[in-house]
Amino acid sequence: MAVSDFVIRLAYSLEESGAYGRAKKAAYDLLENPHARIRPYFDIFMMLLVLSSVFFLLYSVKHHLGAWSGYFEDMVVTLFILEYLGRMWVYDDVHRIVIDEYEKSDLINEPFRLSRALWTIFRSKWNYVSSPMAIIDLLAILPSYRPLRILRLFLLFRLFKLFRYAHSIQQFSSVLREKRLELFTLFSFLMFVLLVGSSAIYLFESRETGGDIDGFFEGIYWALVTLSTVGYGDITPHTVEGRLVTMVLIISGLGVISFFTSIIVSAFQEKMSEVRDRRVSLLLEKKKRYTVICGFGRVGQVVAGYLARDKLPFVIIDADEDAVDLARREGYLAVQGKAERIGLLQTLGVGRSAGKILCLTGDDVVNVFVTLSARQLDDKIEIISRANHHQTVNKLLHAGANHALEPFKIVGLIAGEYVGQPVAFEAIHGIVMGEDDIRLETIHIPPRSWLDGKTIGDLPLKEMRLILFGVITTLDRSSDHVRSHFDLEEQRFQFNPGADFVLLGDDMLLVFGHQYSVLRLKQKLKIRRWRRKDA
Amino acid sequence: MRKICKRIVVVGATPVGLEVARQLTQRGQAVSIVDDHKADVDKAHSQGFAVEQINLQDDDELRRVGIGDDADVLFALHNDDASNVFLVISAKAIAPELPIVSISGSRDTIERLYAAGATKVIDPYRISGYKIYELMHRSVIAETMERTVFGKVDLDIAEIHVEEGSFLHGRYLDELSLDERYNLIVLGVVDRNFGDHLIFATDPRRHRMDKGDVLVIIGPEDAFARFHHDLKPEPAGEDPV
Repeated sequence: MAVSDFVIRLAYSLEESGAYGRAKKAAYDLLENPHARIRPYFDIFMMLLVLSSVFFLLYSVKHHLGAWSGYFEDMVVTLFILEYLGRMWVYDDVHRIVIDEYEKSDLINEPFRLSRALWTIFRSKWNYVSSPMAIIDLLAILPSYRPLRILRLFLLFRLFKLFRYAHSIQQFSSVLREKRLELFTLFSFLMFVLLVGSSAIYLFESRETGGDIDGFFEGIYWALVTLSTVGYGDITPHTVEGRLVTMVLIISGLGVISFFTSIIVSAFQEKMSEVRDRRVSLLLEKKKRYTVICGFGRVGQVVAGYLARDKLPFVIIDADEDAVDLARREGYLAVQGKAERIGLLQTLGVGRSAGKILCLTGDDVVNVFVTLSARQLDDKIEIISRANHHQTVNKLLHAGANHALEPFKIVGLIAGEYVGQPVAFEAIHGIVMGEDDIRLETIHIPPRSWLDGKTIGDLPLKEMRLILFGVITTLDRSSDHVRSHFDLEEQRFQFNPGADFVLLGDDMLLVFGHQYSVLRLKQKLKIRRWRRKDA
Repeated sequence: MRKICKRIVVVGATPVGLEVARQLTQRGQAVSIVDDHKADVDKAHSQGFAVEQINLQDDDELRRVGIGDDADVLFALHNDDASNVFLVISAKAIAPELPIVSISGSRDTIERLYAAGATKVIDPYRISGYKIYELMHRSVIAETMERTVFGKVDLDIAEIHVEEGSFLHGRYLDELSLDERYNLIVLGVVDRNFGDHLIFATDPRRHRMDKGDVLVIIGPEDAFARFHHDLKPEPAGEDPV
């Protein structure tokens, strides 16, 4: 059949077309993708649109608006229609459905039936159209059709559209949805009390028996007003029986209200941690190349302290509530949960924008597992893991860690030093603790700066009270006059180069000294470079 | 270069205790490990360590393993900070002169251990945390240190005690220029004129080397060998400068 052939060919060409895919991706990012950068702006724009259109509706009750308000209304409706169609478009892939149907029929050697594919497409799109959000969208559009002016009331449905754009409202509705069983129980109880109360009051207090109640509807109205403890007092019972009914209603009303409050409160409490985690991941989304710290034990605390000092972004995961509380008290971003959960790592951006992950728990099994999961999610992420046992080092490196660190081995090393050489131990301890102001630092020599091409002897190291350990150069640099050099992974460390060693741009000086001296030399480098450019 | 074979008591068959014991044994020291937790002792046994189970709260048993007797250094490496503090106090009471090295699990314990009489308190978590930070942000330094200073070969950090009669004696540190002559870099010095603590070589004061002063020097092994050779007191007149 020519038509179905054409449809199939069209579906395949869409599948292959890059432009189509990109356009759909862009629409998806704009409308649905919660991680897209443009989403928040779009949401805020739509919210303003909704609010202003409702504002004009309310304003027009008392004032006459000019023709431009009509244009504005038309524009709003056009945008709403486009949005509605756009969401319907990105809801699923029609061409994929056609291709799937075609390949399925091809597989079982049956002729392709276009009607079946169309039916599948219709069902899938109907799923979208019948979803609550889509119905709200539709109701927000329909009232502007002039002949249906009576539907003006429904224009207020636009306010419901805010649900789509505001996450806090979504959270509120999801809290209610989770508690629907309890709420349903409460609602049925309420209905029962209401029915009994209103029938009783109607029996005892109707006009015919000398009361205030005019009809059954007024009975219901009175019962609800009493039950909710609002008690307007426009209708009051006069008979003893009526007053008895009132008393029973008031007491059960107290029960209903407290039950309702407790349901909502407990639901929010349960949801609170989720809300907090969501806030954390929202805050993280604005950052790039941040660090994920798994385990907020002593090591984690130290690392977090350094990162916070340097104002570098990071987030903490720990399963222990106390640890997470401690982290929050320090003002760090923290999430309570098991880092083993791959979903949690993904929510925190591992595989997307996280640059580094540190596995620092006291449990080697967890560290290996998290290392492996993180490596699966992202093959570029830098992973540093803690090995509490010597045998774990290899496992961590196998699992994909860039570095494995043995805290106890370091202690062993320096403790061994203490026994033999207590004074040298002091020096090493000072260096590995990094607590003194005196420490090892690297100073990068910018290309074409005043130092580029100069020798070590030209450096005012002694005056600045710096000790030069060595120079880190590229691997291919000659070490003819240097008595000892060591090759690192990608660089060469020239230990104690003589005064005639020539420095080149992008070399790094490894100096030992007070941090102010280091800072001073770095500043000097910057200033001289600037002056040179100027000259 | 190192004074070999001291009697060392390591308390705590914990991961860190066993690691320290392993490293010290490798360096040729006589190490005995003791602990009072049966489970830890058994576990260490299964890993091939000879651990003696004693009651650490009993001073007589502490004396029996050598504290106050022939032990040169005591390592208090329990997981539990309170036990470490208690052990340090008991050991200090038995042997006031015994150097005691301990570890602390939390920041506040460091001061308490020093107050109890520990000679040196190591904070393994702080060191590890700093190391991780270095790996992340100063990876060149971390790699250099890892390959050279903490590596098995290459660079050594050693302390040199100034003896009477060596060519160091009576000289000023800045006129020695050990870096040019021996390819050795002076990190720090204990100058008895200024006290018994280590002063880093970035200190602006001039330091005259006298008997009992100590230099902390970093450099390759061959340079050390040459230096040690020259250090031996030679008859006057053969001053190598």
